Amino acid sequence: MDRELEKKTVEALLFLSEEPVKTEKLAAVLSISADEADALVRELKADLASAERGVQIFEAAGGYQMGTLPELAPYIERAFSEDVSSNLSTAALEALAIIAYKQPVTRIEIESIRGVRSEHVLENLLKRKLIRISGRKEGPGRPLLYNTTPDFLKYFGLKDLAELPSLEPGRENQLSLNIDQEKVSEEKLNETSS
Amino acid sequence: MVQAEYTIKLPTFEGPFDLLFHLIKKAELDIWSISIAEITDQYLAYLQSMKELNLEIASEFLVMAATLLRLKSKLLLPRPQSSQEQEDDEELFEINTAEELFLRLEEYRLFKEMSVYLRKREEEQQKIFLRSTGGQKVMVLTRQESVYTIWEGANHLSDIMLRFAEATKTDAYNPTFSVVEDFIVAEKSSYIEAMLIRLKRPLPMSDFIIEDGLWEVIITFISLLEMTRQGKVILLQDRLFGPILVAIREQDVHGEGKGG
Repeated sequence: MDRELEKKTVEALLFLSEEPVKTEKLAAVLSISADEADALVRELKADLASAERGVQIFEAAGGYQMGTLPELAPYIERAFSEDVSSNLSTAALEALAIIAYKQPVTRIEIESIRGVRSEHVLENLLKRKLIRISGRKEGPGRPLLYNTTPDFLKYFGLKDLAELPSLEPGRENQLSLNIDQEKVSEEKLNETSS
Repeated sequence: MVQAEYTIKLPTFEGPFDLLFHLIKKAELDIWSISIAEITDQYLAYLQSMKELNLEIASEFLVMAATLLRLKSKLLLPRPQSSQEQEDDEELFEINTAEELFLRLEEYRLFKEMSVYLRKREEEQQKIFLRSTGGQKVMVLTRQESVYTIWEGANHLSDIMLRFAEATKTDAYNPTFSVVEDFIVAEKSSYIEAMLIRLKRPLPMSDFIIEDGLWEVIITFISLLEMTRQGKVILLQDRLFGPILVAIREQDVHGEGKGG
């Protein structure tokens, strides 16, 4: 397959896909190396950007996806008004921030940081598929553990979790370290008790 | 003096930590240099103004008030630190020293800031429209009829068994899945219902099997059985092993003229 055709195929696949497409997948479809596939997407991305097209390629959740130019948002909203998803509540964002950094994490742990009951918030986040239940914590009551999902990355336009800024250095870092240690010893405790 | 400000516009707080944090910021103080007595007074003044406005005060705010008062009283009345008073507090507020309170506040502040960062990203990201929307809305794309995965075209039981076997192979069996089954069934049901209402015509069961794997098939099937039991949908099958059609059951009489 010649390179131009490969590039067109990449474009078509990205156009059709509802989920971010990983370069490995493109590579497999085209039987080329992942590096070559990545080069193709980047070229296509640059092509679309330089041609000033309404559709661009974005990176999210470890893959590539086509999306519309941010400037077009008002018009798109006008066209699809009923379909535009609502913003997350402040409470939901707080809970998400905690889950993103501390996953896997239990509801009690989230509530203890927020100082408020968070059952409802978690339910909503589950419904929106921004978080998922990843299992149960060993220990009393075997509480459910929550993790973020690939949709979380997609929702915030993140390539991966590492793209999140690190929690502030300094005294705060020390603080989170303390908490981690606490958690570790807690887990150890649970290990020995089970 | 500060109270007057509150009565004009009372900001809403996500919880007691949020409120405390706001008070500290207002006083332009560092978390580590606040005086418990002062912050307690301010906190109580705020609750008082909420009361005056007849706003409902969530119990968490009251628990925090009690916690603050206890901390304050501890500071005022020096006590021998011998007995480990294990009061059965709300598990959300096991705060026994000022130091502990500061730590909790600081931790909350970190995540609060992170949530502000996420909000910023959300705003940026919401200007970009993607083809998929994370399962949030029911996307009705022109699905080709040929995507029937398991049920369509299976003429013999053995055929179905084979396809099942194949599906099991590709789907890593995950035991923790059963934990969330109820939730997933509920979610699937609302998806099915939304699709049927939106398209206003009966759809083959295979249309609701979105993801690959055995679990998806099982969940879809259970959801449909549950919905049938609840009288929300009717399942139609014109022949043995034929495709199963799902039709919404009109609960209100006013939609009688519908049909496709």
